[in-house]
Amino acid sequence: MADLVTFTIDGRQVQAAPRTLLITAAKQAGIEIPAFCYYDGFSLQAACRMCLVEIEKTPKLQVACTTPVTEGMVVRTDSPQVAAARKGMLELLLTNHPLDCPVCDKGGECELQDMVFRYGAGESRFVETKQHVDERQWSPVVFYDKPRCILCYRCVRVCDEGLGVGALGVGDRGSASEIIPNRGDHLECDECGACIDICPVGALTSGTYRYQTRPWEMDHVGTICTFCSNGCKTTLGVRNGEITRANNRDKSGVNGEFLCVKGRYGFDFNHHPERLTAPLVRVNGKLAPASWAQALATVGKKFAEVKQRGGKFGVIGSNHTTNEENYYLQNFARQALGTSNIDHRRTGDVATLIDALHGHAGALATTADLYTTPAALIIGSDLSQQHPFLAWQLRANFRHHQAKVFAITSGPIREDRYAAKTMRAAEGEELTAVESFREHLAQQKSLVILFGDSIKGDAVRKLVAFGDSLGIPVSYVPLVDYSNSRGASDMGVLPDLLPGYHGVREAGLEPGLAYDAILSATDLDALYVVQENPFAKTPLASTGAFVVVQDLFLTETAERADVVLPAASAYEKAGTVTNVCGEVQKLKAGAKTMGAKTDLEIMGLISKEMGVSIGIWKHDTVFAEVRKSVPGYNVALPVVETGGAAPTFPVNGRVPLEDRPDLISSDRNTLFLSGTLGRYSKMLTSVLEYPGKLYGQPVETELEMKEAQNT
Amino acid sequence: MTFSPALEERFAKLLTSYPAGRTRSAVVPMLLYAQDELGWVSRELIEEVARRTGVTAVQVDEVIGYYSMLRRHPIGKHLVQVCTNICCMVVGGQDLFEHASKTLGVGHKGTTTDGLFTLEEVECMGACSWAPAIQVGYDFHHQVTPERFDRLIEGLRNAEAETRKV
Amino acid sequence: MPPARSHGRFPGFVTLLRYTGRMAKLGEVLDSAVAIARGMTVTFKEMLNPPITEEYPDAPPIFEERFRGAHVLERDENGLEKCVACFLCAAACPVQCIYIEAAENTDQVRISGGERYAQVYNIDYNRCIFCGYCVEACPTDAITHGHGFELASADTSALVMRKEDMLRPLGAA
Repeated sequence: MADLVTFTIDGRQVQAAPRTLLITAAKQAGIEIPAFCYYDGFSLQAACRMCLVEIEKTPKLQVACTTPVTEGMVVRTDSPQVAAARKGMLELLLTNHPLDCPVCDKGGECELQDMVFRYGAGESRFVETKQHVDERQWSPVVFYDKPRCILCYRCVRVCDEGLGVGALGVGDRGSASEIIPNRGDHLECDECGACIDICPVGALTSGTYRYQTRPWEMDHVGTICTFCSNGCKTTLGVRNGEITRANNRDKSGVNGEFLCVKGRYGFDFNHHPERLTAPLVRVNGKLAPASWAQALATVGKKFAEVKQRGGKFGVIGSNHTTNEENYYLQNFARQALGTSNIDHRRTGDVATLIDALHGHAGALATTADLYTTPAALIIGSDLSQQHPFLAWQLRANFRHHQAKVFAITSGPIREDRYAAKTMRAAEGEELTAVESFREHLAQQKSLVILFGDSIKGDAVRKLVAFGDSLGIPVSYVPLVDYSNSRGASDMGVLPDLLPGYHGVREAGLEPGLAYDAILSATDLDALYVVQENPFAKTPLASTGAFVVVQDLFLTETAERADVVLPAASAYEKAGTVTNVCGEVQKLKAGAKTMGAKTDLEIMGLISKEMGVSIGIWKHDTVFAEVRKSVPGYNVALPVVETGGAAPTFPVNGRVPLEDRPDLISSDRNTLFLSGTLGRYSKMLTSVLEYPGKLYGQPVETELEMKEAQNT
Repeated sequence: MTFSPALEERFAKLLTSYPAGRTRSAVVPMLLYAQDELGWVSRELIEEVARRTGVTAVQVDEVIGYYSMLRRHPIGKHLVQVCTNICCMVVGGQDLFEHASKTLGVGHKGTTTDGLFTLEEVECMGACSWAPAIQVGYDFHHQVTPERFDRLIEGLRNAEAETRKV
Repeated sequence: MPPARSHGRFPGFVTLLRYTGRMAKLGEVLDSAVAIARGMTVTFKEMLNPPITEEYPDAPPIFEERFRGAHVLERDENGLEKCVACFLCAAACPVQCIYIEAAENTDQVRISGGERYAQVYNIDYNRCIFCGYCVEACPTDAITHGHGFELASADTSALVMRKEDMLRPLGAA
């Protein structure tokens, strides 16, 4: 850039883009200016006065966090005056801050502690007694300890600007100032805990992590959240094989530091007392614990026997298992069991979209695109509830780049507040409604369309045709429900499609029974269910079938099973998952549950018992095969291995799929629900908002007016 | 929540007095006018003002916490504010407050049992030249002596008794 | 013949006797007696003083106050545990022999003076090197070095001490 500004900082000549804030410019030059209230990405506050620096020709010290660099500016951050100011500020911040670091949860990762250690005075000149206010609990998740608060407003801003909730404020004034929750004495919010993580001190503490351990006592395992499909990276704090907290303070992964309540607090399903730790085999009509050898032999023998007499199998895959497991499962079904009757609960129409997009290049948006796109259109999804990270991206995009957001939903959504245009339309009628946006959409430079499960089958093709007719580059995000719903589809856990959307007929096979047909068939001999709970909604019609279920808990489906195999959760295994935007990310094993095996290992062991070889059941071997044989999955290994997200580019061509739009339906999970898994999280079920409601945003007068204008 | 027609009219005017998209500027005057009518700021009022100005309730809460003249609890009919800041203090403001406290039988922020008066010790109200000063409702009373104070209270009590009779 | 002995620069009384010839034999006897007496001075002197060696294991040993023995977890004046499970001892420990599990005090169950307490506090004496860093690190003076030293065991698993083993008994200051 030619128009850089040159300024001097600590005697060094440095260049920065004009209007860069001094604090950022200094950071780029490798000079640290301490600050509490300044936080990248949020509005400026200039409340903490920690970032005072000396600027030549200005009589007093200036705050670096709100001062933009100018040409020829001479700044000093290392003068005795600046050091004295920092020391003084810290002394003031500590007037009422209790020195209870030994019991404070933040101890060891506290910004105030670090700053006092580096810049502060050893002794305070204040002799007055410190004010004490008892700690308060605002929700099962959030606790507030007023005296520790240094009023940096970070929590207030992250809640208001980042999440769009605005549940926190600052009440009273002077030394009585404190953070206040939106319901007087308690919080009613997303319970995401972003305020807790962003708090530089221990004023806001988390209900799950409170008084449990210390940051240096844990292993920090970066893995992918196993709940919704957004694929947020979550860093698990693991101690003794048990997860004590989850956050993402290092801002790694696609999500930066964003996590919702499920990502931060939902992990406790992992050590729920009802977790299965030993296989169960039905003996005399009752499920009884058995050894792994016994259980596997029972399954292997039965499967081999059914296969030999040409019996009918059904296989139901999962939305939560890894790509490797899904790939291995379809191999297991098609090769070891010799059946095409394999399917999973489909929550979004990915296959039709891929088919409709043939001939288009780069028409699938990534999560990063949502932050940069000039315009986005949401169809049929309460994004903030169902896909909180995508909503966070759009909100940040609006905040930083004034993105135009359009939405067509059946009820009020949080995006209404800042959306350029929103509209209410009944489910299934969104495509008619979208025509009224045509003019506005066509004016945008490019557009990302996010659509929910109401756009399926033919509607997807119509939507793509609409996108094409706008005359601008349009990319799509087919919204699916779970952590690897996208992967299940990509890996061919479908009756009519092989991995990479190849038709089964290409391989000389006939399409098998779909999800509903498997459940309603009356002549199944054996059913194999991997981490899925189909019987919660539909009972199995084949009453005589031998049912094998591998799951974490004794679900409705597992209760009906003949053999239940305890499976490991996503937090206990390695592998890869594909998020809603088709980005492949790596899981890393953090926790351990005695007795459980990964689904991959279980499938391998069953095939071994059956005397069939379908390959080594090691995740990296299977992943190597996936990279080789699944189109679009030849992702850059270094990206995936280092914890990055590698976008996949699935086939660009026709997909020979059997159109079954009726099979596609989302579970409509809210922020606090996640199918079967969410039921076993104590924290999720204990918050006041549980189970939440979609399209439950209050309708503001202003919005009503806007809506009137729109329609 | 409904207000008197006069107040509604005032609110309507307020909401259009600021540039487009800045309706939040109306929060303070709306609260003050509503408080004059209702006597205090109730939870219901907070929600209502938040709704009308397009801010969240917690943001209205912040404002109320900041301004001491906005009250979260009902008070007596007449708010008697006695200045004890420096100028008033040197000419007997403190003594006046103590006298008022004795006369009304309540302390700082206390309300008399008949619900007629609420006493408050306040900082400077800008009447230093006429110290000691007190404020009853929106009326200033300058150079108040204990005797004048008693007469004032007596007058208000009598006026109240008159209205009760009628 | 014994080798000639030197008596230093001063010819003493014994040497004089030797020169008198007749008395030479007697002189030698006396000479020996004196030498023995001189050699035994320390012994004779100490015979009258009380013994300084320790009678362990017949009597308990006496320690210097600063002796770093087995750890003791202290209680405050109300009998509550001083340890607030801050993990600083575990962090300071160079051999990683301290293991803590923290838990929160409630109004019903109050174990320590602070908000939290150590639910589990183990020291693995297989590894402990008695360096005293933990004691130095403790912000509440909860962990101290006692004078316990009889820690040897043939069973390594018996060398992991639990909180209950180390806690100062109630009432004992």
